[in-house]
Amino acid sequence: MPVTSTVSADGKDITIIISGRFDFAVQNEFRDCYHSTGPEDGVSFTIDMNKASYMDSSALGMLLMMREHLGGNSADITINSSSADISNILTVANFQSLFKIA
Amino acid sequence: MNENTLTVLVADDDVTNRLLLEAILRKEGYDVIHAEDGREAVEVFERERPDLVLMDIRMPELDGYQATELIKAMSGDVFVPIIFLTANSDVDSMVKSVEAGGDDFLAKPYNRIQLQTRINALMRIRELYSTVRQQRNELIQHQKRLERERQMAKRLFANIIHTGSLDQPNIKYLLSPMSLFSGDILLAAPKPSGGLHVILGDFTGHGLAAATGALPVSSIFYGMTSKGYSIAEIVTEINTRLKTILPVDMFLAACLIDIDTTTHTLTVWNGGLPPLVVYAARQLAISQRIPSQHLPLGIIDGESFSRRVEVVGIQQGDRIYICSDGVLETQNRQGEMFGRDRFNALFEAGLVPQALFDTILGRLSDFQAGGLQQDDVTLLEICYDQSLLDQRTGTIEEEEGGRGRFSAAPSSWGLTLTLTADLLKVLDPLPLLIQTLMDLQGFRGQRQQLYTVFSELYSNALEHGLLKLDSSLKANASGFVEYYQAREQRLAVLSEGEIRIDIRHQPDAGGGRLTITVEDTGDGFDIDSALLPLTENLGHAGRGIQLLRSICDEVTFQGSGNRVQAVYRWR
Repeated sequence: MPVTSTVSADGKDITIIISGRFDFAVQNEFRDCYHSTGPEDGVSFTIDMNKASYMDSSALGMLLMMREHLGGNSADITINSSSADISNILTVANFQSLFKIA
Repeated sequence: MNENTLTVLVADDDVTNRLLLEAILRKEGYDVIHAEDGREAVEVFERERPDLVLMDIRMPELDGYQATELIKAMSGDVFVPIIFLTANSDVDSMVKSVEAGGDDFLAKPYNRIQLQTRINALMRIRELYSTVRQQRNELIQHQKRLERERQMAKRLFANIIHTGSLDQPNIKYLLSPMSLFSGDILLAAPKPSGGLHVILGDFTGHGLAAATGALPVSSIFYGMTSKGYSIAEIVTEINTRLKTILPVDMFLAACLIDIDTTTHTLTVWNGGLPPLVVYAARQLAISQRIPSQHLPLGIIDGESFSRRVEVVGIQQGDRIYICSDGVLETQNRQGEMFGRDRFNALFEAGLVPQALFDTILGRLSDFQAGGLQQDDVTLLEICYDQSLLDQRTGTIEEEEGGRGRFSAAPSSWGLTLTLTADLLKVLDPLPLLIQTLMDLQGFRGQRQQLYTVFSELYSNALEHGLLKLDSSLKANASGFVEYYQAREQRLAVLSEGEIRIDIRHQPDAGGGRLTITVEDTGDGFDIDSALLPLTENLGHAGRGIQLLRSICDEVTFQGSGNRVQAVYRWR
């Protein structure tokens, strides 16, 4: 599965794990991971991209959709990535000003 | 005859067989027509167009195989099932009937159930076939209509997003959209004060949706550039517009640049594109690399949006490169990307600048070598050639004239404007001021001249009067950068002082006489030294005054030098 998610015991932390290509092909799976959560639920999200090989601009768009859905500036989303290519894509787009990038 | 009743043609030279089949078929509710031989079968078929044919093999005139071939040819892409009636099921006749186009066999003696089952099965196929055919035809029609619309939209799009001033000998570019419409945009427009504005942008996604977003970008870019706005102001306006119209997951990664031939500076705003590169003609190496420092456009609201630009010096012959990420993400057959390292290496081989662009294109195409294009690819090279960039083309004036705007006969009027420190910090008043003058009097063909006059007077009052910047800084190219950095810093903390602009207009011999007085609350300057003749004033500084004198009829300094009056005559 290219997109999977795990929920902590108290339901306050959700981790979305992406492996392989992060692009438009996985948009429904990605959306399903956060769609039932609202801005008022106080859930912290972590997007684990350590196993992702690539992301394109539509994936950046999907991250923006998620952020908007979870309340925009008040959304709590952390992106983990160890890949230099993916970090570079996030940096070029200056996403560190919108997301916590670890 | 009931519309829904199916008609079956029975072709058999044996009258007993025909009657037997007719009896069975009528009982099942079909209409029946006959033919006594192959030729008649073809004739009846042509006339009556039955829904199904039962065909005997051995018949006079034409046999069943020949008649079947003719009927199949006649029915074109309508599926008319033909069932062969055979005495025995010998393989040879089966092969021949399949070759002739038969769809099934029915062995004698005829069994009612068997006949009914065969007919039902073939009718279901016929229905399916006709549905598919109808859908296919609709699809073809739809496709044709769509293609016409796309072609029309493409022409319309091309007219709106004209590439502006890209067709100059010092500009090379590659625009390689992956579909009819590009999600990348590349526009260039001359500034009214000389020099060039360029935007290279890459929308999320490709095709029509992405291209549609380019329409407002182009109108803002061309409109504001021709009115003299800076790229910081233009990029802010584009961001605001895109934030309003784009869906949340769509944005525009873009790089805007301002090439200024007066100050030899390159001003850059890069949000989301790969680094802009300046390749120095003298060192044969990269002299500047300006990476993305902002979010792409259309993501955040006006308040948190950063319009901060980078200013760097540039020299004759230097080359500026900007590309969309499609260049770096060009894939080879193995799905491997071209990448930053290969791209950067192209600039590190000490190539002569003239060869760089073609070398980059060559390497990219060698690398791709039949790999599929995954994204729109755009690459731009601009050679900093002062004389070419400084050509003030007629396009801006043409657009002005083409608008057919009302223009008053030269008349008497006046206008006084007081600009406070608070206002100066956030607003460049020149574009607004020039636009107001153009609307008021319609100075046809005078915009660029007027722009230069106001721009020199205003910069002088702001930079030397209020910000107390020293012109001698501008003695060399790197000083220019320092000068403009100091200008930005001082302007940001400016807390007092004001600039008063007074404009009087009088009709004068078929045209008018415009008297412009600009006064600042600064200390003024040593009038005598600034008024040295041009031959004794070879530095970068003081050229503004010379430029003013070349355009205006009179330029006088008053007070302590903090008040300048210029008289401009037009016809």
